[in-house]
Amino acid sequence: MTDEVYSDLMREFKEGKYVFTGELEPEKAGNVNEPIEMAKELLGLVVACNVTDNPQSFAYVSSLAASYKIQKETGMECVYQLRCSDRNRMALLSDVLGAGTLGIKNILALAGDHVSLGDTPDAKPVFDLDSTTLIHMIRKMVDEGKDLGGNEIADPPKLHVGGAAAPGAAHLKAEVGKVQRKINAGVEYLQTQVVYYTDVLDKFFNELGETDVPILVGIFPARTFGQADFFDKYVAGVDVPPDYLESMRATKQIKDKEKKKEEVDRVNIEFFTKFLEHLKGTPAAGCHMMAVGYPRIIAPLKKVME
Amino acid sequence: MIAQEQKPMEEILGYLEGKQKVVVMGCGGCATFYHTGDKKAVNEMAEKLEKEGKEVLTKIVMPLGMQACETEKCSIFLQKNRSAVENCDAIMVMSCGDGVQVVTEYTDEEMGIAKEVYPVNDPLGLVGGGPTKFKETCQSCGMCELGKTAGVCPLTSCGKGLMNGPCGGVREGDKCEIDPDKDCAWVKIYKRMEKLGKLDAFEQMNDPHEWSKMKRPRLFELEKPMGMMDMMGAMMNLNTISGYMSMMFAKPPAEEEEAKKE
Ligand code: SF4
Ligand code: SF4
Repeated sequence: MTDEVYSDLMREFKEGKYVFTGELEPEKAGNVNEPIEMAKELLGLVVACNVTDNPQSFAYVSSLAASYKIQKETGMECVYQLRCSDRNRMALLSDVLGAGTLGIKNILALAGDHVSLGDTPDAKPVFDLDSTTLIHMIRKMVDEGKDLGGNEIADPPKLHVGGAAAPGAAHLKAEVGKVQRKINAGVEYLQTQVVYYTDVLDKFFNELGETDVPILVGIFPARTFGQADFFDKYVAGVDVPPDYLESMRATKQIKDKEKKKEEVDRVNIEFFTKFLEHLKGTPAAGCHMMAVGYPRIIAPLKKVME
Repeated sequence: MIAQEQKPMEEILGYLEGKQKVVVMGCGGCATFYHTGDKKAVNEMAEKLEKEGKEVLTKIVMPLGMQACETEKCSIFLQKNRSAVENCDAIMVMSCGDGVQVVTEYTDEEMGIAKEVYPVNDPLGLVGGGPTKFKETCQSCGMCELGKTAGVCPLTSCGKGLMNGPCGGVREGDKCEIDPDKDCAWVKIYKRMEKLGKLDAFEQMNDPHEWSKMKRPRLFELEKPMGMMDMMGAMMNLNTISGYMSMMFAKPPAEEEEAKKE
């Protein structure tokens, strides 16, 4: 990590605060009104919000455009998610320069899901860089003011770069080896894929060993049974515990809207309080709350960590 | 070799809409090996086309070793069938895209006959393996990375072509995010490095691949072409004969197991 601090997110890491981040999802639409509304609700609850880039390879509003608009209109600091799936190294470089120009302070560098998994399966997958080389490129741009070819960048962008880790990966040792590559390439913080099982997380931290790089643990309190079920069925490397799934399924039977909300909140608070209590004993630097469209759950969960 | 399979008949007939007279041409290279351009395949295709009311002016069968993608060989067969080529409405080539294009270029530029030339097959890549199961393992990228990845191609065997370790999507059983029938190349690389005692290297970043080595179309020049004598010399070898003999008499793995039990 460099000593420079460009963003509030990095400042909180440096200050040793327990960090909370959120997530916003631009959609297939000609505007970002919804994520803007969500961002307003999350202000004060999280230090920054990730803005997803074509998640699961469904093509949506550009994450860069959305990050800029959300940041400008709400003041919420954004973490611009940037995937290698859809851009070659030139386009990635242009977008990183663009991000700097637009005042984006954080980038989460991702390989990205394969295009064949999304809603545009005939697209040509790019993957010219991978997450590690993208991290390397961004650090080179920011710290040395040079691109991959060594060409000078006038007024280099001032931003931080994070990377992802998958504690639930089928082959943990290979996954951790890759995370080490990211650390060697200069990643400034890590954010894990969603985890539900504390032992999965413990094994990951154990395997990784000591590191100075702050790690945010991804959690996903689901707003509906459908959301939880989707994660369980379709998101690679994520298993949702059957008990939690069952409790969420049971909420579907409740007719009264308010009562249903209350019960969903109760299930989440019960499950995640235990999880977060456990988190206190791990090296985690904070929590990434992937609670898309479910801001009311954040305050009660944050309380657990106070 | 270049694996290939025949296109759906519907697509083939689509090309021939409004056309009557056709030439069906096979290939004695990979297409013969994969049953998509050998004598039998050519005959069957001609029959199908005739059933659909087309007139097959000639069937050009190229025997094994006579590849459609080699202009020298291909030209012999095209010249022999010059009048059919001249009189047809379309030439259907049962080879990979290389063969189709050699036929296109030769008929147009050397024979002076501009004809519609259509592909009958879909090529599926450079594959290794066999005798029945094959795997695409190399895309001839022009800058081989195998020395950095314990002999497993990260560009071809990894569904995303990643140069630096597994993506976050590896499935149960170390299968690929994109297709659960395929193994994750990066887990394989990890396991190979583990066996070779080279795990330290697994944490080191590989530079981005140099795609500048793959400026298409790539041209390639051989100083000295393979002559007839070289070819004979290369083939007439005791080891070739003994190799083919052992392939002939080898039992399929299942039978071998049975034989051992007895
Ligand atoms: S790196 Fe892969 S695609 Fe390139 S030459 Fe080697 S095996 Fe072939
Ligand atoms: S699962 Fe493995 S082989 Fe498949 S895309 Fe990811 S890293 Fe590549």
